[in-house]
Amino acid sequence: MRPRKVLRIGRWEVTKNAGGIDRKTAAVVAAALLVLGAAVPLVLAQGGVTLDEGFYRVGVEEESPLYPVVESDPTFAVRDSDAELGSEIDLRIVGSQVVASDSQKGASALSELRSSVDSYNDRVMADEPNQTAAFPVTVTVTYAERNLTIGPADGTGDGGTDGTTGDGTGDGGTDGTTGDNGTGDGGTDGTTGDGTGDGGDGTGDRDTDGTTGDSGAGGDVGSIARGLTGSDEMSGTPSEISPPFPFQSLILAFLFIIPLNFVIQAYGSTMLSERLNRRGELMLVTPVSRWDIIAGKTLPYFLGAMAFEGAIAGAVIALEPGSGSGAYAMLAVVPLVLLFLSATFLGAMFARSFKELTFVTVTITVGLTAYAFVPAIFTDVTPIALVSPLTVVVRDIQGVAIAPLEAAISTLPPLFTATLFFVLGAGLYREEDMFTQRSIPLKVLDSLAGRIRRRRSVALMVVLLMPLVVLAELVAVAAIYPISLGLPRPLWLGLILLAIVTIEELAKSLPAYAGFVHSRYDRTVRSALVVGALAGLGFFVAEKGLLVVQLLGGLPEVQQAAVVSAGPTAGIDPLVGLGLLLAPLALHVVTAATSAVGMRSGRQGYAIGLTAAIAIHFAYNYAVVMLVV
Amino acid sequence: MFDDVRVAIARRDIASLSRERTIVLALAIQVFIAAFSSFLVVGLTSMYDPGSVESGELTFGVSGETRDELERAAGSAGVETEHYPTREAAMDAFRRGEVVGVFHAESVDRRISVTATVPDGSVQSTLAVVKARDVLESLERDERTRRAAHLQTRPVSLPPEGDGSSYFGFTYTVLVPLLLFLPPFISGSVTVDVLTEEIERGTLELLQVAPVTMADVFDGKALGMAILAPAQALLWIALLVVNGITVANVVPLLALVSAVTLLVVVLGAVLGLLLGQRRQAQLLYSIVALGLFGVAALLPEHPATVAAKLAVGSETTVSTTTVLALSVLAVVSYAGTRRYVRTIDPERY
Repeated sequence: MRPRKVLRIGRWEVTKNAGGIDRKTAAVVAAALLVLGAAVPLVLAQGGVTLDEGFYRVGVEEESPLYPVVESDPTFAVRDSDAELGSEIDLRIVGSQVVASDSQKGASALSELRSSVDSYNDRVMADEPNQTAAFPVTVTVTYAERNLTIGPADGTGDGGTDGTTGDGTGDGGTDGTTGDNGTGDGGTDGTTGDGTGDGGDGTGDRDTDGTTGDSGAGGDVGSIARGLTGSDEMSGTPSEISPPFPFQSLILAFLFIIPLNFVIQAYGSTMLSERLNRRGELMLVTPVSRWDIIAGKTLPYFLGAMAFEGAIAGAVIALEPGSGSGAYAMLAVVPLVLLFLSATFLGAMFARSFKELTFVTVTITVGLTAYAFVPAIFTDVTPIALVSPLTVVVRDIQGVAIAPLEAAISTLPPLFTATLFFVLGAGLYREEDMFTQRSIPLKVLDSLAGRIRRRRSVALMVVLLMPLVVLAELVAVAAIYPISLGLPRPLWLGLILLAIVTIEELAKSLPAYAGFVHSRYDRTVRSALVVGALAGLGFFVAEKGLLVVQLLGGLPEVQQAAVVSAGPTAGIDPLVGLGLLLAPLALHVVTAATSAVGMRSGRQGYAIGLTAAIAIHFAYNYAVVMLVV
Repeated sequence: MFDDVRVAIARRDIASLSRERTIVLALAIQVFIAAFSSFLVVGLTSMYDPGSVESGELTFGVSGETRDELERAAGSAGVETEHYPTREAAMDAFRRGEVVGVFHAESVDRRISVTATVPDGSVQSTLAVVKARDVLESLERDERTRRAAHLQTRPVSLPPEGDGSSYFGFTYTVLVPLLLFLPPFISGSVTVDVLTEEIERGTLELLQVAPVTMADVFDGKALGMAILAPAQALLWIALLVVNGITVANVVPLLALVSAVTLLVVVLGAVLGLLLGQRRQAQLLYSIVALGLFGVAALLPEHPATVAAKLAVGSETTVSTTTVLALSVLAVVSYAGTRRYVRTIDPERY
């Protein structure tokens, strides 16, 4: 890439691309924003939007002591107490007797009424002259470490995927002294968290973390379970106690995602427009590389998105007392922005029309928003939340110190994934794919073959695919786990292993197959064996790279869980670990070579070879898991 | 009503959709959203209301003066207690993991001052805080009742406990509107696409030589998109019912979705024809559509609230009126747009 050319293309993109933003559009945008801006105060004056206004219908007499409660809660619609229970009203209140209709709705209305009564009482009591009688109880909540040694209470095999449903009878194990969770913290077990372990006990307690001076509050993730105050105590009346849930920080973090959806709309359009009427062809025949073109066309959108994010970060830091510097937040949004852009670019390269692009864009919006947002909900609960960069943003808003290792864990995987998407999309940025309607499977092979020049590039391609492999495995495990709850253990273990093995074999063989289809490799047995072995080696290196990081105590066990064939787990003697490390190398080489030999003769041969490879791999994994577990 | 030409255009657009596998993609997206939402429901609810997650029996250690009252309150909140002579003893038990938290109570100028200790940073912590709050609120109620002589107003006594699911309200107020209004939003977006694509590819001029008017083209394209979203909404409602979520008032709900769809399709068509370029039109469409959804809060009932109320069967006359008014508005704006489309010369692009 040559910066001067990239910058020039970027400048064209801003100024010349199909007229940029012309006056008409600017006028309509201005008008739209003006109308909306005028409406905001009106909406706020109305008290915003309460979605559940009048959701439950309550028949209540005026003289009932509960009448003011029902009347003051907008969730309830006041009706006549003689109305038909069930069809016309959900609760009937006569005096202080409450009758609920015999349905889910009635039961939920009753629960809602209970909490309304509580908050109503607190409001009434606040006006009492005698405050000691009105609020006879004051509470101070303190958080304390539990320095547990490994004991019987230590849950067995705490669930990686089980983080949200662990039943909490295990221990919270802030095992600060040993940094080692001892028994049953198995990676293989992690995928199948058996529900008796505890969910919140993430990474064998990152004792690395205790030394980073986490605002002096104990050093573990728990030190941020403070709401927004950042203090170590909460005090007040009982109803003022709230569980550690970073609600406000989450809402603020969500602001960072919103502009990205608008940016990718425009970005996707401009990328697809290049492909209409052969518009992009002129650029392709000029003496610039395809990377120059892609970088130049992407740069303005990236900078624009970062400008939005900077403005949001500035506003949040200014408005939110006790928040961090915002530097970490900005650092963490970079991979998110790149992920949105790269996925849209790849989508625009694959889409065959504007309609298709719209669906792709919606998918990207929903998928990536979910990926960023859902783990961040559990910021204060489990280190697994670090799979999303947004967690770092939330912590930064909360004003919590962030260890560089944590920032790396949550930003590097999305960065790698974004790189992969750009590489795959660039494989399609050529005349044959841009201006013709090729079928999707062929395009997939084209995108893979884009980087394949010689035999060893197949290994590089397999390494690049690693983030997708891990992601696919996670999704597969998460999908199979609930389905297989009722099945006997060997069966569901087999199902999960089969899914994982299939994903891994596909990842190893597809780049090689793309190489054969594009005639980059000879169709001899010898060349197939070499290519297969290289693909296997690449996969092994990438997988074990993950594992070494994990042995160093880095990766959250979500990733541990994903790499099932990884055998060794945290807490194992490094020497034994090294021995186990090398065993799968042979496996990966053999299976990849098997499918490579099959694919020489075309699609059918590939299917046969792949099936054989999956069978070998499955047998190996099943044996290992049965021996280890 | 519709002659063959428009139906042919609509059919072509829908057929091209299915050929492009985008319908499959759309449904995949929606299944994903449904799965994601249910996950979000469970996740958020467990965070927001950890008591809703099945948990083992939690035992709290109790020490200090007013322990009888505390233990009574704990009993009514369904929490086990274990008594310790001193706070230190209780804290030792806490550190050994025998109890999940510690209450230490003292009398401080006629109030009970409770120090609650909970474990640091885990799901346990959230759960313990919530349980502690239950116990202490129960204690507060008992104490208020004991001191009622000093109060001017008696606190309202608590109704009996219901076994209501904490997901119930969320399902109807968030999930149902999300599933019902996402298809219209996508439909409007695709309307922008089908028109701007014809314009950008230059194929709109070809229609000049075909025996169709611009109004026919508009009819055909809008019709295809306007049918799609209610069909998807119906599919959703069926899926919800299969999953044990009863949905009332299916016909009014479909009317609401159809009206909203027609409105956003008209919006998308106007923007697409006005600007003629997807990038600008799509961007504006997103801004305006989301903006209108926000501005709808000025209505007596927000369409999302209307959908929630209709689905759960708590509809009022206002809800029904909103549906009717939106339907009328949709038809009127459609007719108005048709007049505008007649004046467009395809040559101008």
